[in-house]
Amino acid sequence: MVGLSVGEKNFIKHGIAQDLRNDGRKRLTYRPIYVETGVIPQANGSARVKLGATDVIASVKAELGRPSASHPDQGKVSIYVECSPTAEPSFEGRGGEEFSAELSTALELCLLGGKSGAGAGIDPSSLSIKEGKVCWDLYVDCLVISSDGNLLDALGAAIKAALSNTGIPRVQVREAASSDEQADVDVSDEEFLQFDTNGVPVIVTLTKAGRHYIVDATSEEESLMSSAVSISVNRQGIICGLTKRGGAGLDPSVILDMISVAKHVSEQLINKLDSEIEAAERANEEEP
Amino acid sequence: MRGIQLSFSNTQKLRLEKALAQLESISSKVNSNATVIVADTIPVDEDAALKGHGTLEMGKNVIATVCGVVERVNKLVYVRSLRARYKPEIGDIIVGRVIEVAPKRWRLEINFSQDAVLMLSSMNLPDGIQRRRTAVDELNMRSIFVESDVICAEVRGFQHDGSLHLQARSQKYGKLERGKLLKIPPYLVKRRKQHFHHLDQYGVDLIFGCNGFIWVGEHVDVKDAMVEDQVNKPDPQNTNSASLLGSSEEPTYTPLETRQYICRIANAITVFSALSFMVNLEAVIETVTLSLSLNLGVHEMLEAEFHVQVAEQEAERRCTSSRRK
Repeated sequence: MVGLSVGEKNFIKHGIAQDLRNDGRKRLTYRPIYVETGVIPQANGSARVKLGATDVIASVKAELGRPSASHPDQGKVSIYVECSPTAEPSFEGRGGEEFSAELSTALELCLLGGKSGAGAGIDPSSLSIKEGKVCWDLYVDCLVISSDGNLLDALGAAIKAALSNTGIPRVQVREAASSDEQADVDVSDEEFLQFDTNGVPVIVTLTKAGRHYIVDATSEEESLMSSAVSISVNRQGIICGLTKRGGAGLDPSVILDMISVAKHVSEQLINKLDSEIEAAERANEEEP
Repeated sequence: MRGIQLSFSNTQKLRLEKALAQLESISSKVNSNATVIVADTIPVDEDAALKGHGTLEMGKNVIATVCGVVERVNKLVYVRSLRARYKPEIGDIIVGRVIEVAPKRWRLEINFSQDAVLMLSSMNLPDGIQRRRTAVDELNMRSIFVESDVICAEVRGFQHDGSLHLQARSQKYGKLERGKLLKIPPYLVKRRKQHFHHLDQYGVDLIFGCNGFIWVGEHVDVKDAMVEDQVNKPDPQNTNSASLLGSSEEPTYTPLETRQYICRIANAITVFSALSFMVNLEAVIETVTLSLSLNLGVHEMLEAEFHVQVAEQEAERRCTSSRRK
């Protein structure tokens, strides 16, 4: 990315201070969000989210697997992010790997809850088929096609949309002969179960630039950031996860303030996203 | 349509398509032969025609190898492709970004296939005195432009090796601050007599670089900048620190009203480039006025509805102007 001159940086900074950003938004306004679902036919569910010039695709693939020994009654969810070199030259070669890993970790922290399982957007026990024997493994793969800042929020929204687009085949478990044998399952290819995505949180990233913080920063604004806090909030306004990027430290009171702002912003974002997802699903049904 | 990253409702889609079809019907009357796509036959009058860029001889026909507009200069026939990089012409006013400070020269990114070169000797020194550039001047080049500064200059000419030289021999050229740089496809900017515009009613400077880089910024009086530079000039060491200090804690903000206009103008240009309409001063001002009369927020200009309205307005404008002809 080409750097900005001092003059431009100051212009952006002052704009943030004056509550009128470079594209005319206020500090807490999102760019128009655009959702398209069912973009990958092979996946169980997929969605593409555009947030301004940021463009990401998320797909969900469900596979049968064995639950882990520590949580025999739960399925597994894993999130991978890949940054396409077309998005930015720095993603080429190994450059994107580190960033991809950072994004996947942040997404797992924000969406999958803590080690205890609290705050998980996707209830892992709903993925269980037969305790200790078979469960669904969800592989959430995300691809960054074009990057203009605020990737985490866009990825979070894309995953939410992809999950609500996901249909998981209904599975019948035939009674296995003995307990140590692999369970015999019958996967239906006609009946699909929808996910309950009500609990999936949205991610709100507050980027601190200068003395103020903004939501949905463009990459220009991100180049000025001192630190950014990503907070995932679900429909009930409960914080499900939180991560921070950037070198500069933050005062605890500022973080608390950010959290309350994020809660407020997330309400609008969830409503907007829900209506967009619904519209996308409707468009899908109209043109099979 | 491909470039637009918006979700239109069905009615909006219909209205946009109607407006675009209307525009197309006007333009096709004028020069339907001039635009070609790949593998179109270009009508050539005689065999002696010189075949230029974007053409290929197949049997007896001359066909186009790129999409664009057929241009004829005497016997030469070539296709000027759309959506290509900027092709400089001498005298063009361009806006560029410094990417390197090299010995006696700055290298600029101007959306050309190469980087442009601005020699230290082909620009006015801030003190305005005409003299030979000394080694001291060369050492102080960073006090004039540093990397990633946005500057405005004029195309001076090509060197033998094809590289592009720029010049900035007037006070109107130079560093641009307090504003934003927009990048649009270069073919949307037409070469005109005037590329610098001072919009008095808004207090905004607008520079249409021929390379598709457009600067929208707060109005700066050229004279003031010169006086300021003269004050700073005596000791280069001080200049550096002073300019650093001055820029890091600039006391005066751009007034909110001016900033609103800057953002409005910038958004108007963004809408235009999304719709692939020619960007010029009249159209921009008209769009800004439209947005003001509709009482739209600055950011609402980037939404689908306004795109449709701009397209309709443009269709109407071109219809009436073509009727007048």
